[in-house]
Amino acid sequence: TATRAQSGLLERAGSAGVAVLATGGVASGPGPGRPGPLQDETLGVASVPSQWRAVQGIREETKSCQTASIATANASAQARNHVDAQVQTEAPVPVSVQPLSRYDVPRLAAFLRRVEAMVIRELNKNWQSHAFDGFEVNWTEQQQMVSCLYTLGYPPAQAQGLHVTGISWNSTGSVVACAYGRLDHGDWSTLKSFVCAWNLDRRGLSPRQPSAVVEVPSAVLCLAFHPTQPSHVAGGLYSGEVLVWDLSRPEDPLLWRTGLTDDTHTDPVSQVAWLPEPEHSHRFQVLSIATDGKVLLWRGVGAGQLQLTEGFALVMQQLPRSTKLKKHPRGETEVGATAVAFSSFDPRLFILGTEGGFPLKCSLAAGEAALTRMPSSVPLRAPAQFTFSPHGGPIYAVSCSPFHRNLFLSAGTDGHVHLYSMLQAPPLTSLQLSLKYLFAVRWSPVRPLVFAAASGEGDVQLFDLQKSSQKPTVLIKQTQDESPVYCLEFNSQQTQLLAAGDAQGTVKVWQLSTEFTEQGPREAEDLDLLAAEVAT
Amino acid sequence: MNEWTNTDRGPDPLPSSLPGPTAPGLGEPQAEVEETLKRIQSHKGVIGTMVVNAEGIPIRTTLDNSTTVQYAGLLHHLTMKAKSTVRDIDPQNDLTFLRIRSKKHEIMVAPDKEYLLIVIQNPCE
Repeated sequence: TATRAQSGLLERAGSAGVAVLATGGVASGPGPGRPGPLQDETLGVASVPSQWRAVQGIREETKSCQTASIATANASAQARNHVDAQVQTEAPVPVSVQPLSRYDVPRLAAFLRRVEAMVIRELNKNWQSHAFDGFEVNWTEQQQMVSCLYTLGYPPAQAQGLHVTGISWNSTGSVVACAYGRLDHGDWSTLKSFVCAWNLDRRGLSPRQPSAVVEVPSAVLCLAFHPTQPSHVAGGLYSGEVLVWDLSRPEDPLLWRTGLTDDTHTDPVSQVAWLPEPEHSHRFQVLSIATDGKVLLWRGVGAGQLQLTEGFALVMQQLPRSTKLKKHPRGETEVGATAVAFSSFDPRLFILGTEGGFPLKCSLAAGEAALTRMPSSVPLRAPAQFTFSPHGGPIYAVSCSPFHRNLFLSAGTDGHVHLYSMLQAPPLTSLQLSLKYLFAVRWSPVRPLVFAAASGEGDVQLFDLQKSSQKPTVLIKQTQDESPVYCLEFNSQQTQLLAAGDAQGTVKVWQLSTEFTEQGPREAEDLDLLAAEVAT
Repeated sequence: MNEWTNTDRGPDPLPSSLPGPTAPGLGEPQAEVEETLKRIQSHKGVIGTMVVNAEGIPIRTTLDNSTTVQYAGLLHHLTMKAKSTVRDIDPQNDLTFLRIRSKKHEIMVAPDKEYLLIVIQNPCE
């Protein structure tokens, strides 16, 4: 019992438990029930409650949370009413001039009596007025300088050392295509070449990556886009073939080819052009000329074959003797054709530039048969009607003025540009533009007195006959090392653009200054005056 | 089902340039009209002359059909606009003559209640 009591004391003591034990055992002396000194005693166990946090236990509380339930609801909608409508455009009724009914004539006469005096007075005043002399309005932002917008090239072609031999803008004016080949070949070659096209209106235009590339087994020497189909382009090859491609089909662009038949040219094709067919003016034929003296018209028939529809051959003997030519014709010598330009006013009239340096006025309607022994499936005719005075060397380019029916330009290896009128044999004026060859000359499509020429010295010369008839108004240096510029074309839709291709295989698109894109007040009349200066 | 009908009638024939057979009693005004128009047309620098009625339809012209129709439609609108501009600024005022000068030539319009006389002149400076 003593043990039990002491145990109870100990339990209640807590931390002081050890001390109580010590005093408890000694303080009480001997007594009844208690063992005397030096006797075994059993004491209770002393325990110290642990202060460690882990034993004391973590205070825990339980809490829970729950999202409120998601409210869902179902609803449906349906359009109950609908209306059908159809729209059709009707062809516009062409308004035409109405004949005057008999009752209106006296009223019209009275009206004219009232206004005639005033109108005549104003007409007279206008004729004598100087109020607007030198008054010009600027509607568009003026561009002062000529700048290079794009420098385009195709690295694999440039690596082979190919030149840009032909350039063409398509009918919408947004795609420029160039033909690669070499213009300085002496003999037959099996050089592969390319036709590349860049779409300038596309975002992300990459100058080194054309939007369309066609591999051609032979060198392409000339190129012409279809006048209405934006993706069809015709090219003339070194082998004498004429091919038509469709650039919108990347996997198989070849549309038509002449193949190598008896009809094909036996010499490299100098130039190709598209002509409207005489009966169906929305369909077009391809015209090709070559130095073998033939001018051939091809039409595409099914299965990709270009078939000869009409042909002409130039024979020395049959040339009209309107001017004295140095060469005397001996036998049936062919006259090589190197350039062609069609008149904008008469679709059957065209000018041919020849290797002999004399331009020829020709007509598609000529009927005389050609004295040639060249084989052909279609009878060949002699087209020449008039011979003009020659240049000092072969002609490389001719261009008919889009503003005057009688004027055309020709340029050749003598470095001169001649301005001819179709009414006389000697040229109206002759300008020396270069000491080397001139490879291309083109009239501007918007300014009657402006033309551009590409020279062998690597520059593009822009001539404004209104400003100066002796030296170029603007000289654009295209190549740095004076390698020649072989071709150039104006863009007739975006009239401030001019593309030129050179011997280094680059095509540069130049933006012309405003003075070259807007017609001045009296240009058409000045052009007429120029044309009227017929030498006596 | 909707039905679409073709209402295309074809172009009306153009009046000949010579005065047609005139009814009796109308010879004089007809000849007078032609003479007046010829006088205006032969004036120095005049490129074309036309008379347009109040609806903008040409009734006499010296130019080809498509050009005439284009000029008539556009100038009729412009003349009405000019007239309303003048009247809006001052209701007591009215349009008497309209001249448009462009780079290449000058267009003169003499307006009236029923007709418009349009003359295109190339002034030589």
